[in-house]
Amino acid sequence: MGYLTRYVVLSLLSVAAMAETTLKPGDMVPDFTMPATNGFGQRLEEARGSFLMVVWLGRCDGCSETLVRYQLLAESLAIEGLKGWFVWTPSGKSEPPNMRLPVLRYEEKWRQSWQFEERPAVMLINADGRLDHLITGDLKENYQETEQVVMRWMSQGRDYQVPE
Amino acid sequence: MKYILLLMLSLSGLIFTNANAEEAAGQKDDAEIREEVMSVKEAVLELNRDLYELERELLSPATTRAAFHLTLNHGEFFEPLAVELSVDGKLELQHLYTERQVKALRMGAVQPLGDLNLAPGKHDVTVIIRGVDHLGQGRELTLTEIVSKTGKPLITELLIVDREELQSARLELKYW
Repeated sequence: MGYLTRYVVLSLLSVAAMAETTLKPGDMVPDFTMPATNGFGQRLEEARGSFLMVVWLGRCDGCSETLVRYQLLAESLAIEGLKGWFVWTPSGKSEPPNMRLPVLRYEEKWRQSWQFEERPAVMLINADGRLDHLITGDLKENYQETEQVVMRWMSQGRDYQVPE
Repeated sequence: MKYILLLMLSLSGLIFTNANAEEAAGQKDDAEIREEVMSVKEAVLELNRDLYELERELLSPATTRAAFHLTLNHGEFFEPLAVELSVDGKLELQHLYTERQVKALRMGAVQPLGDLNLAPGKHDVTVIIRGVDHLGQGRELTLTEIVSKTGKPLITELLIVDREELQSARLELKYW
């Protein structure tokens, strides 16, 4: 019985700890450095001072077509200080997307990296390194919403999304 | 009546002086407390410094300390993207480079890769540096060397040197 109680308490604590580590709008994004499949690695700290759109791809095998619009969005707003990175996680024989923007490769072996989640997501990180918006779900379906949010975000400068 | 008035005046004067004296004493106390707080803060900082030094000595005593640094000589034929250093088959240090860091290395920066604890004796050190050459092709520089660790600290430098005659680069290990 003692063991069971301990197990339940520990499980609850670990769930609570996991919940705490999940990023939500308003949180500071922990620093990371990841190698890129198309050039130099990128470090989050070095992007301070710019608006940053990090697109976590989730499962992606040569998904360039889906990402073209995100790339265009980032490139069209580059002059206003927006940077765009894609984060790709290799799985099996999957191929990374072929993009002009940095495609970061997440691999567990690099101690300077961390993985957000398996599912696709778009993070909008402000110049201070704080997460302003988090849009999760299918990248194709979420593009319109992302574009609207990014445009508003860029025009307003700082537009913290109030966590629910 | 005159006496009463004088008495009242002297009493109020006394109260006023007392209040002033209390205020002055209070200010003096504040200043003393501030000084004490400052001295306590200084003591804490000093203690923290001593603890840090002690921790460093305990974690990395001179007899086992092995420090690795990385430098880039010109970097015309090779740009590092990632480095991995293994000792006796175990991955000990790794680093991913950004464009800014490579620029700094090109300008002569010495990058401290990290400190390890190595027991005195011989160790098999393997270094793999992944990067790109001047044509943008992926290249790998590797170095395997038996390093002798004595009772003194081992301080080394991994040097990426251009080989103009071959239009490539090589990796060297230098002892400081």
